[in-house]
Amino acid sequence: MIHATTRPAPVAPHDPPGPAAARRRPWRGTVVGWSFILPNFIGFAVFTLVPVLAAFALAFMDWDSYGTPEWVGLSNFRRLLGDQTVRVALLNTLYYAAGHIPLTLVAALAMALALNSKVRGARFFRTVAFLPYITSLVAVAVVWNMLFNPDAGPVNQLLQALGVAEPPRWVASTTWAMPAVIVTSVWRDMGYYMVLYLAGLQTIPVEYHEAAKVDGANAWHRFWSITLPCLRPTTFFVLVMLTIQSFKVLDLIVVMTKGGPGRSTLVLSQLVYREGIVEGHFGYSSAIALVLFAIVLTVTVVQFRFNERRRVR
Amino acid sequence: MSTATTSARPGGARRRLAGWLAAVAALALPLAACGSGGGQESGDGKVTLTVAGWSLAKNTEFGALFDAFQKANPGITVKPLDIPADDYSEKVTTMLAGGDRTDVMAMKTLTDYARHASRGQLLEVTDLAKAPDGAKLAGLPAYDLQGKYYALPFRHDFWLLYYNKKYFKEAGLPQPEALTWDQYASLARRLTKGDGAKKVYGAYHHTWRSVVQAIAAAQTGGDQLGGDYGFFADQYKMALALQKEGVVLDFGTATSQHSDYRTMFETGAAAMMPMGTWYAAGVIQAKKKGATDVDWGLAPLPQRPGATGVTTFGAPTAFAVNSRSEHADAARKFVAFAASRAGAQAIVKVGVVPALQAPEITDAYFSLDGMPSDALSKKAFAPDKVVLEMPVSDKSSDVDTILNEEHQLIMVGEKSVDDGLRAMNDRVKTEVLN
Repeated sequence: MIHATTRPAPVAPHDPPGPAAARRRPWRGTVVGWSFILPNFIGFAVFTLVPVLAAFALAFMDWDSYGTPEWVGLSNFRRLLGDQTVRVALLNTLYYAAGHIPLTLVAALAMALALNSKVRGARFFRTVAFLPYITSLVAVAVVWNMLFNPDAGPVNQLLQALGVAEPPRWVASTTWAMPAVIVTSVWRDMGYYMVLYLAGLQTIPVEYHEAAKVDGANAWHRFWSITLPCLRPTTFFVLVMLTIQSFKVLDLIVVMTKGGPGRSTLVLSQLVYREGIVEGHFGYSSAIALVLFAIVLTVTVVQFRFNERRRVR
Repeated sequence: MSTATTSARPGGARRRLAGWLAAVAALALPLAACGSGGGQESGDGKVTLTVAGWSLAKNTEFGALFDAFQKANPGITVKPLDIPADDYSEKVTTMLAGGDRTDVMAMKTLTDYARHASRGQLLEVTDLAKAPDGAKLAGLPAYDLQGKYYALPFRHDFWLLYYNKKYFKEAGLPQPEALTWDQYASLARRLTKGDGAKKVYGAYHHTWRSVVQAIAAAQTGGDQLGGDYGFFADQYKMALALQKEGVVLDFGTATSQHSDYRTMFETGAAAMMPMGTWYAAGVIQAKKKGATDVDWGLAPLPQRPGATGVTTFGAPTAFAVNSRSEHADAARKFVAFAASRAGAQAIVKVGVVPALQAPEITDAYFSLDGMPSDALSKKAFAPDKVVLEMPVSDKSSDVDTILNEEHQLIMVGEKSVDDGLRAMNDRVKTEVLN
């Protein structure tokens, strides 16, 4: 996740102003620059770049990880278009993203605003809010599964106590399994994005708020006209990260529902894993991964464009 | 690595490159050494045989076999290679594809076996398969690939009915002998009692699709790869009815709490449970540890009305020799030993069902401490017919996925039995068999 945000490290200028010796050998700066990047780049190239490029090529091949890959052109993509399971997984992924992105964003912002004040215990609650993010995901998923237990789970007992006669059957229902997963993922991720928002809130000069207060702006006005616009860089970053994270969700769903019941929570990443690692159809699996990559890329590019346009205005 | 040395001399870069290459080479050396897992032959003619198995600490039959084999062959030392059960198939696939030299590999599923054998990764052992010592080697035909064998089964699990004797006595019921599924259902209803945390379910059906589908396929003769699944219907109706009446634990609850069939039976939360023979070793171990005092018995799996004999389903497990093994003779010896009478005697001692079937093996099995010794339990141990859990084909895995997804939908009540079966038919026909 982190490396997605790493900007290319600045290469040392080709002709650094400096001692005459350096000017005589202009490559020196380059070599020094490269030597700093290289250890990181080798790791990136060997473990990320090469496999990614290989996956691109594999999408046009038929390969079971053992025999010689066979070039099949676009047939993997043709099969993909007609594959009902891919369609189901794509819709589920979009559903998850549509729930996870806005809910996490709003929850994280709300929590950051609440914990940005100097109330007693704010530090403690900040730590508590961050805890889910560093808790083992498997533990989180198992515990939430128990909470969502359709018959004996606390969630449904609470709902029944509140007068809901037939509470949702959550992970045992095709309708409610995805909402259950989304709630769990929002709970888990909001602490992390809250920290990002807290950092963003610290950068807003207090004077703005004081000036607005003097001019008679109420809390809502101040939030809407000062806090939110000042947080725009943070919001943009959070949005991009959340989008990428949502589209490649896998772990939580695998532990909570394994894609079930039926195919109701099957997402694209899981399908990539299933087709590739489990079934050994690496070509087809790479084709699905390529589609997923194209979707994430498109959405992110659109977000960047949108952000730039806003900045110009 | 000192990558940031800023040598001013022109030769510096080249020298640095040489330094890196040396470092890379040094790093690669131990990696290359890891690649070959084969055994070594020491000077005194002793052979070290590497044998791969899964989760060795839990599956004590591996250790028991290794010990017995070493005792019988003093010149050969077995070096176990422990691989977690969940990763086993993928790990072995990767190892064999990468040219690993591990001598003997346990074949966890028939699908894996067929895949590796067809790729030429396993040594042919047809001569060993044709010479069992007088007894019957259950599951052997499943390893027949056009008249050739590339592995020999050493254990053979099949499904039967576990039941809690105490509950039967309390309810004044006779032991569950020669049941039909209808009789099983009504027994389960009568055995259900209590409420809340103390509820005793008449039966427990684990969430695997086999509990419904493989039983139906074996007992009706239906083909799970055929694309026409009407033969599942009766078994589904029975399972759903029991679930609706609260006689078995609800499927959705069982999945969401990752329900453990062992706990259900050992704590007495269920009076009957269809399950595989592998679990017998689990009950024995739990009793030995004092974790449970369940008074248990075995019965043959209930049958369809009018059935002749006991038909159940199961699956064998085998050992194969890696075609790249450097100790093929010793490896073949091990594979033959595991499938032999001596091998069977070794694994029977830890409560595991060997593939080799002979009266003295069954006797040894039931004389184990903690094993029920009544006549019905022994009878349960000799079913008339054991059908493969899932036929082996290159389509098996795709069909399995679909059958499993639709199984979940039927069991959580999202689809009626008819709709679910129709979906299975349609999906298998259009997505796999087309």
